[in-house]
Amino acid sequence: MLRRDPLADPAPLIKRVYAYAAYRLGDGPDAEDITSETFERALRYRKSYDPKKGEPVAWLLGIAKRCIDGSWSKTEYATEDVDSPDTTDLEEDTIRRLTVSRAVAALDDRDRELIALRYGADLTARQIAELLDARTNAIEVALHRALGRLRGILGADEPEAVRKRGASQ
Amino acid sequence: MRYWRKRHEGLDLEAELRAGRPEPSSEFVHRLEARVRNDGRRSRAGSLRVAFVGAVTAVMLLALASVGGVGYASSAAQDAAVSVKRVVTPKDVIQIVKRGSAIDQYRKPKAKKVKKAKKAKKGKGTKGRVRARTRPPFTG
Repeated sequence: MLRRDPLADPAPLIKRVYAYAAYRLGDGPDAEDITSETFERALRYRKSYDPKKGEPVAWLLGIAKRCIDGSWSKTEYATEDVDSPDTTDLEEDTIRRLTVSRAVAALDDRDRELIALRYGADLTARQIAELLDARTNAIEVALHRALGRLRGILGADEPEAVRKRGASQ
Repeated sequence: MRYWRKRHEGLDLEAELRAGRPEPSSEFVHRLEARVRNDGRRSRAGSLRVAFVGAVTAVMLLALASVGGVGYASSAAQDAAVSVKRVVTPKDVIQIVKRGSAIDQYRKPKAKKVKKAKKAKKGKGTKGRVRARTRPPFTG
């Protein structure tokens, strides 16, 4: 019987793994390194993929999680400095993106991981529960709380640059 | 706070997180995609090669079996093994015996033939013999 290749369509998988890594470590070279390492490991162990255990993306995210928890656990979140660029040249959605990214960076590891899996890798609560070996209900509650904390951070943290712009207007 | 409230009040944070999902550069995606595809092609080519060799071997075995080639080949192999065995292990080992004056004296003694003791017959005679042995010896 022919086995299904988990890496048959790599492009969307690369994007999802990268988004997960970027939400955890910050957008940039660190996330690219983790994505590359994940796919290198996946290529090496592609025969060990068992479709009964889940989708290829869940398998890849498990590898990415281990990569981050292993060698990258002490890496600091790479945030782009919102204050430094001239805000007059930036689009509003870019500022918004940076603000959200900074707020995510301010979350603790557990919350950041949940946000990364749910909104970065676009996994369902059930898939996250399977990946983290937890109950779906517990994951839904934890996600709700993480979003609450994120809202709190966004509410409290106003970017310096925006304040400056507000003052100049 | 003011900024967020003013600009994003009523905004769905979940939608914002999904929309603002970090994306890798297209160059990075293309590079990694090419790497993955190349590796997949290579491993597929390897497994195809193995399958092809297996198929050719099976066809050859079938063709040979249909004309009795398998039995012929096995008997040939057996013959070859026997020939090799004959060459490797010589049958007659020549023993060099040094001739000397003492050779007869120190020859190995012949093993003595030990006569087997006759078994006592069961039946009538047995009783008589037993009686004879019990008689006291003649002292004169």
